[in-house]
This record gives sequence, C-alpha cells and structure tokens, in this order.
Amino acid sequence: MDVKEFFTIEMSYSTYHLVFPRIIMFILIVMGSFLLIRTLVKKSKDRENSAPFKFFTNHYDRVKFYGTIILLTTYAAVLQHIGFVLTSIIFMILLTLLFIGNLRKKSILVSITNGLTTTIVVWYVFGQLFDITLP
Amino acid sequence: MPIFEVLTPMSVLLCFLGVFIGIIMGAIPGMTATMAIAIFLPLTYSLDMIDSIGLLIGLYVGGISGGLVPAMLLNIPGTPSSLCTTFDGYPMTKKGEGEKALKVGITASIIGGFFSLTILYFFAPMLASVAINFSSVEKFLIIVFALTIIASISKGSLLAGIFSGILGIFISLIGTFTDNNEMRLVPPGLEDELVYGFSLLPVLIGLFAIGQLLQEAEEGMETASHQKFDLQKGKNKFSFKLFKNQKVNVVRSSIIGTFVGMLPGVGGSAASITAYSQAKNFSKNPEKLGTGEPEGLVASESANNGLIGGALIPLLSLGIPGDSTTAILIGAFLLQGIEVGPLFITSNPDLWSGIIFALLIANLVMFTLMFFSIKYFAKIVLIPKYVIFPIIVVACVVGSYAINNGIMFDVWTLLLFGLFGYIFPKIGVQIPAFLIGFILGTQAEKYFIDSLKGSGGDLTIFFTKGPIAIVLWILILASLIYAVIDSRKTKKKAENQQAA
Repeated sequence: MDVKEFFTIEMSYSTYHLVFPRIIMFILIVMGSFLLIRTLVKKSKDRENSAPFKFFTNHYDRVKFYGTIILLTTYAAVLQHIGFVLTSIIFMILLTLLFIGNLRKKSILVSITNGLTTTIVVWYVFGQLFDITLP
Repeated sequence: MPIFEVLTPMSVLLCFLGVFIGIIMGAIPGMTATMAIAIFLPLTYSLDMIDSIGLLIGLYVGGISGGLVPAMLLNIPGTPSSLCTTFDGYPMTKKGEGEKALKVGITASIIGGFFSLTILYFFAPMLASVAINFSSVEKFLIIVFALTIIASISKGSLLAGIFSGILGIFISLIGTFTDNNEMRLVPPGLEDELVYGFSLLPVLIGLFAIGQLLQEAEEGMETASHQKFDLQKGKNKFSFKLFKNQKVNVVRSSIIGTFVGMLPGVGGSAASITAYSQAKNFSKNPEKLGTGEPEGLVASESANNGLIGGALIPLLSLGIPGDSTTAILIGAFLLQGIEVGPLFITSNPDLWSGIIFALLIANLVMFTLMFFSIKYFAKIVLIPKYVIFPIIVVACVVGSYAINNGIMFDVWTLLLFGLFGYIFPKIGVQIPAFLIGFILGTQAEKYFIDSLKGSGGDLTIFFTKGPIAIVLWILILASLIYAVIDSRKTKKKAENQQAA
C-alpha cells in the first residue's frame, strides 16, 4: 500500500454521516484512555503526597445539594401536568426555603413573596407581553 | 449612517434596560454576563433582530462592567473577568476609598469599551473580506485552530482541554447529518426527540446557570456579604486627573483585552490577568500594585471591557465566538435565522451598524448609570442568593421550554447539561472548550466532509490546499508549542516555590 492510499478515506453517499463521527470517536477513546492512564499512574506514583480524589468539597451541604436535584427533577416532571403558574409558585417557595435552611416566620414570608412575585412577573412578561409559550 | 435610522427607539430602550439588568447580574457574585444573556435569550424570540441585539449587547456590557462592584467592595469578583480588580480595589475600599475605586474602574471600563469598539469597527470587515474566499478546507482548519488555542490558553492540561473540545464536537454530532439525512449516535428510544440533536440554548443555559446553581447548593448557598464597607471616608476623592498618568496603561490594557478577546474561547479572566501582569511589569513602582493603587484597577477594568469588542471580531467575521458569552450570541442570531460568518457584515449592513451603535450606546449608558448611581448599585451585592437562584431556575426552565415553541424535552436537556456543567469542572473537563466544540461541531463536520468530497477522500488536501492552509497549520502548531512551553514554565515555577 503506498502512502497516498493510506491517507485516503473511502467516501460513499450512504455513509457520509458516519465518517466524521467515527474519527471523532476514535480520537476521544484514544485521548480519554491516555488521560485516564496518566492520572492513574500519577496517583500511584506519589500516593503519600496526593490526597484521594474527592468529588464533593469538604463538608458539602448534602441537604441543599440533593434537595435541589430532587426539586428540579420533580418540577420538570410535573410541570406540564399541573400547569406553569401553580407548579412554579410551589416549586419556588420550596426552593427558597431549602436555600434559606430554616422555617422561621420571616423565611416563610420571604419564600412566599419570592415565589408569587417571580411566577406572576414571568407569567406576565413572557406569557402575555411577549407571547411566549409557557409549559 | 444616522444612528436612529438603524436603531429603533425600542432597541435603544431595550439596550438601556439590558445594561441596567446586566449591571445588577454582574454585581451579584456567582452570576455572570454569560448567564444574563443566556437567561434573556428566549425573550428575544419575539423581538426583531435589531431590538434583541440592543438588549443582548446591553446585557453583555452591563454584565461585564457590573462585576467590578463586588470585586472592589467585598473582594469577590462578580464575574471572572473582574478577577484582578480585587487586587487593588478591595485594599482601596478598606482604606475608605471605595467610591474613588469604583469610579476609577467605571472610567477605565468605558475607555476600554470604546477602544475595542473602534478596533472591531475597522478590523472585523477586513478579516471578513479575507475570509470570504476561504474554502471548506480553510474553514475546517480555522475551527481546529479555535479549539487548539482554547485548549492551550485555558488553565489545566492541554490534552484535557483538547479532549473537552472534541467531546463537545461529539455531542454536537448526535442527530441527523443534513447531507444524506441519516441519523447517527442517537440512543434507542430517543429518535423523535433527538432528530436534530440537542438544542443549543438549553445546553448553554444548563452548563452555565444550572451548573452554577448546583455548585452553590453544594457549598450551602452562603451569602457572602455581611461585611460592612465604607464608600467614602476622608478627602481622597475621585478625579479624572488620575488618568493623566495612566494613558499608556489604559491603551496597553485595552489592546491586551481586545486581542485576548479575539482569541476564540478565551474569556475575560485571561484578559484581566494578562493586562494586570503587564501593568505590573511596566509599572514604575510595581511593589505598590496590590496594595490599593488605581493603576491596577485601570489595567484590569479597561482590559475586560476591551474584551467585548475583541470577542465580537471573530464572531462577526468568521462565525467563531471569541468567548462563551459571544457563543451565546450565536444562539440569538440562529433564533432569527441569520447565519454569522464571513458574509454577515456585507449581507446585513444594517445589523452590523446596529451592533456598533448598540455597543456605543451601551457603553455610554453603563458609564452614566454607574458613575452617578454607584452608591445604589453597591447595595446589590447584598441581595441574598437564596432569593436570586430560585428566580434564575424558573427563568431558565421557561426559556428552555419556549425556545422551540414548547418542547418539554428541552427542559430535560437543560437539566442534563446542568448536571454536566456541575460535574465537568470536577473531573477536569473544561467547559469553555466543550462549549466551543459543541457550537462548532456540526460546521466542522460539514467542512470536513465537503473538503473530502472535493478531493475524493484524500486527506492530504488539508495540507496541500494552498498558502492559507499552511499558515493555519503554522498557527495551530504555534498554539500547541506555546501551551507546552507555558506548562513547563509553570511547573518549574511551582517546583521552585516548593523548594524555597
């Protein structure tokens, strides 16, 4: 096989869509495995010096983090079934309360104000003023 | 062209509003100009192009400028581009010169903004007229160059940066290839949702806004600001005479900002850092920088506003975004069905002058608003995060849902990429590189296939096409070599510091 042939890719109309993704996938796999191996080798070399890989920051806020993820997913899941205004008000009150982190009277008041104002403003500006489709 | 023939009163009003909101969002730590534009992009769906440009440019200028407020008052950069503003701004606030510091920063910002606007005005059409003759080979190589340069300048490993960019390209390939209408890489069961791949906007908002939200939630949503600051204590007031000795500094920093902005994917923090370190190199008393010298503020702030015009140059002349914020602007053009590229300026002359005028107005509005009401804007940094972030979430969800006229799958895309935006930095995937890869991926494929169609599958076409292709290869190699040398230098420095 001469050099010219080695640098030639077979092109046919029916497989146009596969040429580029295959090349990209090949590069991704090669680079990905190289990076992974390099990291592992580095880790095993100076085991005493390097702290074990930690995904979360120290003392991360479990309640707020997982709470946010659960609330977000639920919000998206029920949004279309219950309707935008009601779901958003409830979601925002819960999320604000979660972030404040206590159930004092003031916090509840803040969260309700935040939920109602935002939802109504968004509903009015997006839905009425700019005529944008809402869930 | 008279300004009001191009800009409608509505667009001027929206520009004003954009600057105002931008300053507020830029001033809230954790919220960036990029996020501001991403959130407001869906609103532009129902606006004329010229009006939405007014709004978005306003948000851009306001967002970058607003970042200086918390940087100076609380030692927290409001946006990454104000990183070096903290070095001298915060010490000045501690000395009771907060107001003076803010006004120095604002003045430097508008000078940087105007400077880069001038360069944009003259340089972008020139670059575009060169780029008009590019064939698909050169266009493909420009995208490759864009990716290597992001990877080489971004922090962290070069390989990880390139990997991130290619991962972005890979994700963008999901869906249908328009040449032969065949689908590929789509997971079974999602054929309906992913016919056209992931929509750009939910991906962008997810990566920036939801990713940030999750990170803040992990850190407990602490409101950083219950510090007290004195804006004005004593007689040391601001005066424009301060800038008399700063002429060279202003011009140098604005140039640096503009050129850093031109490099694809390189964001504001790099502009601020480079300008600051050069100011230090050339300063008569470098040891004073970092203790509250206006000189440092001038460097950082004129550079980050210089970035804006710079970042628009490759966007409007080549169709390649200069940073993550301009990457989102691509989304705005796509929404209106306008393609950015070498033909953009000649085929949309009104829009082009509209952009220039909008930048002009936005900078003036920014200066006037901030200079005369900085005392009130300073209070923004005290808005608690627990109020802001829920608002952001709802705005993001509504925006994603609306962008394709009510597709629930886009909301799921938003959440998925929000999760990615949270995980990526932790495992070393660089978001700016990923994003540029994602945005340019489909074009890269098109140009690649077109090039090969022309050559009958012969890959050597990428080297033998002509002089411009060779120049591009030299640029690509240079960016890679620069990265290797730079990382060796940093390593050595770190070793020396450890030894000492």
